[in-house]
This record gives sequence, C-alpha cells and structure tokens, in this order.
Amino acid sequence: MLKAIKNAFCNLTKPPLTHAYPAAPIEKPKDYRGLIGYNAQHCIFCDKCEKTCPPGAILFSWALDGSKTYHYNPYLCIYCGDCVRACPKIGEALWQSETKAMPALKVDVPNDGWDKLEKSVEESKLAYKDHKAAQKKAKTTP
Amino acid sequence: MRKSISIPLGSQHIALLEPVRFRFETQNETITNVEADVGYVHRGVERACTSHFEFKQVPTVVARVCGLCAITHSLSYTLAVEQIISVEISSRAQYLRTLMVELDRLHSHLLCLAHTAENAGFEALFMQIMGERELIMGLQEQITGNRVQFDFVTIGGVNRDIDSQIAKTILDGLETFEPRLEEIRELFENNWSLSLKYKGVGAISKENAAKLNALGPLARAAGLRTDVRAEQSVLPYSEIGFEMVVAQGGDIYARNHVRLLEMHQSIKMVRNILEALPEGEILSKVRGKPEGEALIRLEAPRGELFYYVKGNKSTTLERMRIKTPTFSGIPAMVEIFKGQEYGDVPAILASFDPCMSCTAK
Repeated sequence: MLKAIKNAFCNLTKPPLTHAYPAAPIEKPKDYRGLIGYNAQHCIFCDKCEKTCPPGAILFSWALDGSKTYHYNPYLCIYCGDCVRACPKIGEALWQSETKAMPALKVDVPNDGWDKLEKSVEESKLAYKDHKAAQKKAKTTP
Repeated sequence: MRKSISIPLGSQHIALLEPVRFRFETQNETITNVEADVGYVHRGVERACTSHFEFKQVPTVVARVCGLCAITHSLSYTLAVEQIISVEISSRAQYLRTLMVELDRLHSHLLCLAHTAENAGFEALFMQIMGERELIMGLQEQITGNRVQFDFVTIGGVNRDIDSQIAKTILDGLETFEPRLEEIRELFENNWSLSLKYKGVGAISKENAAKLNALGPLARAAGLRTDVRAEQSVLPYSEIGFEMVVAQGGDIYARNHVRLLEMHQSIKMVRNILEALPEGEILSKVRGKPEGEALIRLEAPRGELFYYVKGNKSTTLERMRIKTPTFSGIPAMVEIFKGQEYGDVPAILASFDPCMSCTAK
C-alpha cells in the first residue's frame, strides 16, 4: 500500500507510456506484415495466390486472348501472407512488403468499386470460357 | 409480500466490453434471479467455415472468432485437422505454438485484471496494467508480424520461425515485465480498498463449481483441479514444466490470484521453451483432404476450448462446432450472481473474463 502511494507520486514525473503518434511515427518490428507486392514480368499466372487468398483480395481478370491482369485490394487484404507462401516465385512475382496500408478514402471507392471489379472478373472468365468453346466448335465443325 | 424489481444490464452498458444482456431480479438490491442473453455478436463463423471457405483457409477465419485468444482458436482447428489427415508435426513447430499460446494467456489475463480493477473503481491500475500489456503485445508482434491477428499457426506447422535475436528480445522483455507483474500482484493482494471489492464477493463453492461445470480460472479459484493442459499430450506441456495453479475461496480475489500465479507460470514456461527449443523444420507438407472426424480440447485463457471437425474428403468441411469457455461457464456465472449486491455486478462480471465474440461466434 505504501509502495503504491510512493509509485503514484513518482508517476507524476515519469514520461508518458503512450506514443507521440502522429508527431512521431510508430516503430514497426522487423519483418512486419504489410502490403503485398507484385511484379507482372515475373508472374507465371498460375492463379495459386488467387485460389489461396482467404478474403479474396487478389483477382485475375481474363482477356479473350488468354492474358491475365492482376488486381489487388489492399483494404480487403488481411496480410496473412498465404498468397506469398503459395507463390512458386516468391520474392520475384509476389512478396510481402513492410509497408502499412493507408486508410481507405472515398475516392478509392473501396467497397462498391471492388464489388464491381469482382463481377467484371467473373464475367471476363465466363467470356473467355465461351470464347474458347466457340473456337473449339468452329474447329471441329467443317 | 416483498416487492421484486427487475433491472436490465446491457446489451450496451458502460461496464461491458462487448454486448451481452443480463436481467437481474432484485429484492432490496440483492439479486434473486438472473437471465443471460449472449447472442448479440453472432457472425455465422461455423457456417462460413463449412460453406464459403476451404479447409486450408479456415485457420485464418477461426482466428477472427476472438481477438484475445486468436491463437488458441486457430491452433485447436489445425490440431483437429492434423489429427484427421495424420500429419507429423515437428517438435519445433509444437514448441513455437505453445510459446504463442502462453504469451497469449499472459496478455489475456492482463486485460481481465485491468478490467476487474477498472470495474472496482481503480482506473489508475487499469491504465498501469494496460501499459504493461503493451509489452507482451509488442513481443507477439515481433514473433508474428502483427499485434492482434497473428495468422501464425497453419495446417502442418507454423508460418514463421524465430531466430536468436527474437528469442533474446522475448527474454529481455520478460525480464522487464516480471518485476512489474510482481508489483501488480502486490497491489491486488495487499491493497485494502481493492480487498473491500474483492474478498468474499462473487464466491462459488467447490461443490457448486463441480456441479455447474465451471471451468478455467473460475473453477481453479474454487479449488477444482481442472486444466486441459494437464490432460492432453499434443502440446509439450509436460516437458516445459507445467504446474496447475489452484486457489481456495472461489471469490473475485481468488480468481485474480489464480490469474496472477498463472502468469508467473506462463513466464516460466516461455523461458523453458526458449531454452529447450528443438531444431527442425517448422512446416511439414500436407497432402490429402480431411475424411473423418476429430475432437480437440485446448486450454484457452478462459478455460476449455472445444473443437469438433468433420470432413468428407472434399476441400470444404462437412461440419464444424466450436464450444467456447464462456458459453460453458454460463450456468456457474448465473449461480454466482444470485445473492450478491447489484452494485458488485460489474466487478463480478469482469472477474469472469467473459468473451462474447467467442461465445456468439
């Protein structure tokens, strides 16, 4: 009890325990789990990251010629790193950076924009399938 | 005839961390009957795990059932799946898992003690304990790369390894933390004003605790020797020197006492783990899909956590059931409230350390 009273008085002169954020940045530990980085030049488009991502934050839209485009939603990502571990070219095509995600702004259209993209990706995959089927049919029928 | 007044507490209340509703029937401020409703934060996690997500993604999903015992949830699930598809896990991975579970217990118990202090009217102590808790959370962030959602455990092992530098940081951190914990313990045990709020308040007898199936610190504070860590053989608790902590009395004071002693135990175990950490791979290859069923029990900070997993050789599970410690402890909690003063309710409630997001899932 006496010690507690002594501590209470000592605490008056102690510096605060809290961080001086935003005046000073918060220290991040080594290997902090941040945003996922991607390089299309090294990607082999195996879609493993898309399949393994728990929240579905990575999507590939398909063009009719079979080429794919990578889409990433930093606001949906949970930074678990499962995509990076599934990637056959870790560090070249896909890597986990130590950059923290910025808060989503209205101009980013974080919800509706991604919902629209999800739909268009789904449609692009179907369109590619139909296109392939039509090509196959055209080949087989003389 | 004596008049009885019904007082609701919740679903939103200043003393509650999470939404839960109690309806107390009181006579002259003394509680005669309690009704509890815990389903305010239901998110349909079990259904999502058996429909939307593949079994390999589920560890990250169940980790989000609860922010405080995230590691215990994902670990229970992975242990169950590993039991079904019989994967051999390296002892290094099991040691690292145990290390995280014990660090988790440390910060969860600190949170509970902080809230018990706050609800007893001692806000300075709340601030002090939350400040110390930051140290443990910092250590967990060092190991896993995130403060709350660790995503550390995966089917087949763990995602990240620790090196000698991190091990040193943990040991140094615990070295700083231990004298501070001793200080907190002294406050909880010797502070006269706190003892007015704690001693003899919210007590449960050993017989009642056994009859009403109390578990975790709630049961151990009443003198019941029940701890899953002593009964299971999956995690290496027998090798790292686990000893059960039991107290007598069953009141808030005894529950705080059990938690404080358990934290000393956890620090000792973390030190032993780091000293005897075996070499080896941290992640084993997982092949095949789950076919069959498995039950896993694990000691979460609040008591026994129970997982049932059933797979039918497809990528999605057939059934999953989570039974959380707070849910199993409700009958005992309701019994404790009866006969208490209404003014003591917030402190008693905080001493149960209830986790509603776990319970409603």
